[in-house]
This record gives sequence, structure tokens and C-alpha cells, in this order.
Amino acid sequence: MIKNIKNCFIVTLLYFLLTGSIAIAQTPSVTASSSPTVAVDKDIQQLKDKIANKVSEIRKQNNKAISGFVLNIDENTMKLSTDGEVNQVKFDDALTKVFKVLGTTKKEIKKENISKNDYAIVSGVVTDNMITANVVLIDENFVADSGKITEINKDSYNIKVLTSDKNTYSLDIETTTKQYMVNIKTLLLETIGFSKLKEGDTVHFVVKKTGLEKGNNYSATKILIVPQEYFIK
Amino acid sequence: MKKETIIAIFFGLLFGGVVAVFISLKSKDIELSKNKVIVPPAEKIVSPNSGGIEMQPLILTEPANNAIIEKNIIRFKGTAAKDSLMVIQSPIKDLIVKNTQEKFDLEFPLALGENSIKIVVYPKEKQFRPQEKFIKVYFIDSEL
Repeated sequence: MIKNIKNCFIVTLLYFLLTGSIAIAQTPSVTASSSPTVAVDKDIQQLKDKIANKVSEIRKQNNKAISGFVLNIDENTMKLSTDGEVNQVKFDDALTKVFKVLGTTKKEIKKENISKNDYAIVSGVVTDNMITANVVLIDENFVADSGKITEINKDSYNIKVLTSDKNTYSLDIETTTKQYMVNIKTLLLETIGFSKLKEGDTVHFVVKKTGLEKGNNYSATKILIVPQEYFIK
Repeated sequence: MKKETIIAIFFGLLFGGVVAVFISLKSKDIELSKNKVIVPPAEKIVSPNSGGIEMQPLILTEPANNAIIEKNIIRFKGTAAKDSLMVIQSPIKDLIVKNTQEKFDLEFPLALGENSIKIVVYPKEKQFRPQEKFIKVYFIDSEL
């Protein structure tokens, strides 16, 4: 009887083994292409695409942008300073393109046209704390910030603004300064004059930095007032 | 005992064993899913004068600071307090919107090169302080 059970078990085991091997044998094998060269070409193209994608991915990962005022510049390198930090930029004669930004357009210039104190934006690959420039844009440096008006000088058209990080800006409101106020009912922007400014109002502003300012005094490019009435309504 | 009976007992035991192993594995999974650690949600701000009212902090998920963008338009995505006033300012654009829902998704234009952008959220509940973020985004045309 034990023999019978053994036989039964062996038969079951063999059945499973056989069905498994048949299933494996039935898995489709790679059939030879009728046209081997076409298949090889396709494989090569796929490999090329994969490599190109990988290279582009790695370049994108390592691609960074930095900006700052030009401290010094020589034939192959320049140093940029921003908020006390100094970054070194390397030019690649075959790769680096330099443009001057003129409002919404740009004009290609030579790197010899870059001068000290210019504001440069550099995009390129960073290696060993040095960025190899793909593109250099010479532009103006704008800063956007906000705070509360603490003082208004109607004689000199100047306002003092205290920001949330306890920084005090002195802003000159020029005739070219764009001045807007938020309509507290419609939230639309309305053009205003200097007389509409009040101490205690919240102001959002944009200033142009040249790197040569004394203290925190700037000429305001534009201001946007959120009147205090908005906060007490 | 007949041989059929023995075979039946054998297969019965085998099947019972398989079922037992399956049940024990399944119960372990259920126990794990019941006891799994739940990550706490983003910390909400509670003002001492607000009587315990919580406020959704300003979270900007897109774009990242110092991001390089190849188009002249980006979308600001994230969450901020409901019904708060959002002011997004750059040298070329001032955007003022009421954040009617916590999530926001706002289109914003970019100038060529560097874009310094300040985002300030003024909560509806006046006892909360405004929340601010400053980011730089670089629009570098892919054709350059």
C-alpha cells in the first residue's frame, strides 16, 4: 500500500514537472529576422537614442544657473559676486555664447564686451566649483521685496520700507516709477500718484540693483500698494 | 484501512497545511496594515490668539528655487490658506488673486534670463502674519 502511495506521489510530481517543462518549451523564442541588417540598424538606432537621452538627462541634472556682478574677467574665466558669494565661470570657445538682454530681445555679443560690474546670468555645467558656461546673459539685476511703509518724505519723494526680515529699504519714487494700488473690492490694480501713499500701507516693490548703491537706497522701478483698509475691513 | 482512504487523508492534510500557511500569511499582512505608521500632515500654524484656529502654511511645490525653465511661462503650484490674498510680483508682472481653495495653480510669465519673484500670502484671519517666499527662476531659451 505504501508502495502505491509512493507511486501516486511520483506520478503527480512527474505530471507537474512535465507540464512545467512543456510550458517553458512553449515560450516564444527570438526568431531570426528575415532581414538581419534592418534589425541591426534598428538596434543601433535604439542604442543611440538611449545614449542621447541619457546624456541629455545627465546634462540637465548638472545644468545650473548662477548670477552675479562681474568682479574680474580674463580670456578664459570670470568671477561673479552675489550677496558675498563668489562663483568662478569658465568660457569654452567652442560652446559659450554671450548675449546682451535688451528688454524682451537679445543681441549676441563677444565675451570681450563683458566688463567689470556687469550683471551676468550664466547657465552651464558645474564641475569642481566651477561652471562651464553654455550661455552668458548680460542683463540688469532686479530684486522684488515687500514690507510696510514706515516713513514718507514728501519733499524728496522718498519712502522707508521695513521688511519682515527687519531690513529697511529707502526707496526713491521717480517720475518713471510705476505706482499701483490694489482696489480692495475688485482686487484690480489702479495707477496712483505719490500723494496716495500712507504710512502703515503694505508695499510690494521692485528695484534695480547696480551693486554700487550706498546703504539700502534704491530707485524704485515699480511699487504696488496693498492699503491698510484691506486688513481692517 | 483502504488505500483510497489513506490517499484522501494524505491530500486532506496537504490541503489543510496549504490553507493554514495562506491564512497565517494573510493575517500577518492585515496586522501590518493596521499598525502601519501614518506620516503626519504638513505642520499647520496655530496662532496663540486664534483660539486654536489652524492655518494652512504656504507650500510651493512648483517651481523650485533657481530652476531653469525653457519656456517663458511657468505655473505656480502649491497650497496656501483658503480665502487668503496672494500677491506674486516679478519685474514684469504683478498677480493679485484670492485663493478661494487651499490648492492653487497659477500661470505666470517669465522674462528672458533671471526672474526674481516674491510671493506673499495675506491670510483672511488677520491675527495670522503674512507668509512669504522669494525665489529666482531662470528662463534660458532652449534655442540659445
